[in-house]
Amino acid sequence: MSMIHIQDLEVVKRDFTICTVRELAVKEGQRWAVVGRNGSGKSTLLRVLAGLETGFRGEFRCLVRKRERVFVHQAPFLFRGTVLFNVKYGLRARGYSHSSSEKVARHWLDEFGVEYLADALSRELSGGELQRVALARAMALEPKLLLLDEPFSEMDEDGVERSVRAVGKLGDTTLLVATPARLPDGVVERSYAMEGGE
Amino acid sequence: MTLIWESLREAFGLIVTADSLVIAAAVRSIWISGMAVGMATIVGLPVGTLLARIRIPLRSFIILMFRGGMATPTVFVGLVCYALFSRRGPLGPLELLYTPWVIMIGEFCLALPLIVSITHGAVKSLDVRVGETARVLGARPLRRWLTYLSEARVGVTLAIVTAFSRCVTELGIAMMVGGNIKGRTQTLATATALETGKGEFARGMAMGMILLAIALVVTGLIVHLGREDR
Repeated sequence: MSMIHIQDLEVVKRDFTICTVRELAVKEGQRWAVVGRNGSGKSTLLRVLAGLETGFRGEFRCLVRKRERVFVHQAPFLFRGTVLFNVKYGLRARGYSHSSSEKVARHWLDEFGVEYLADALSRELSGGELQRVALARAMALEPKLLLLDEPFSEMDEDGVERSVRAVGKLGDTTLLVATPARLPDGVVERSYAMEGGE
Repeated sequence: MTLIWESLREAFGLIVTADSLVIAAAVRSIWISGMAVGMATIVGLPVGTLLARIRIPLRSFIILMFRGGMATPTVFVGLVCYALFSRRGPLGPLELLYTPWVIMIGEFCLALPLIVSITHGAVKSLDVRVGETARVLGARPLRRWLTYLSEARVGVTLAIVTAFSRCVTELGIAMMVGGNIKGRTQTLATATALETGKGEFARGMAMGMILLAIALVVTGLIVHLGREDR
């Protein structure tokens, strides 16, 4: 049985269809790229999957509880405070103690090569650093379903390499990555092409 | 100019000699306004945040009422409190009229609309990704609420500062329901009015300056606690 099943899904905003998916079935542990041109609705599809977008028509079923789904925005948002505080945020929300959340957070920051930024303020980061921290924050939770919206758009080569390695360490996490271009080898194994867009 | 200079000298003298009347009025002013604003903060922050984030029936009307409440004349609040707590009023049996408690209740009513409205505006204007990020990272409602307040901390600080400044300097409520009783309900604002009424301009001006200094110090302290880079 598929973990995610979508049939004839349509998201309409102000009489304008911004996302159409005829059929998509994702099994547990699979890694998908959602490809398509700008405006084809890739981000909207991921938002539907994350539970952030509820105004849609059609059939949508996801067997993963909302708390087990993690979505990273195309322009990720970091809270006020330090980088470490941000990566610990989701872990603390899941009941981790201060010390264990810090240990896990530092490990994932290290995976992305930004451990040295742990005590830096989030607003002082560059675009690429911000994306690395946001990915570390999401992957630290080891969610059942990870949804990444154009995660490498501002990253340098090192960042992309580290991200690919980190994805490989995620175990049985189901992954969907929205991207306008081809992803580096080893990130995904299948792809779904969105209709429409410019 | 001479009056101002004399007032400054007298204000300095009142502080240096620790004039008991002035010190008592200052402490009472800070205590009454601090408690009123503290209570209004406890109630106002959740209400302001909920109004910004949750759709409830009559939400626009409730927001409008709180916004309107920001401009309520203090003397009107004093009048309503007087009607409620006077001997013949519905809350008369509590015998709170001419006590600091009724001034506190009045100032709470003054502070609440300010805190609710400014907090509502601050939380409403937050980036939509604040709530979405907290949600997708698994934050439950209480943690999300604290996150909103933390992200809107400049606006929230402004709300508390504005409420405290308005309360500590108000005259209408303290005069009407406090009665300006020396040693019991006299605040710096009512003492200032009394001294000026007696023709003691320099002393009145000195008290006014002390009042201004307290407002500035407390405001500075709250702003420091809520500054953006913390």
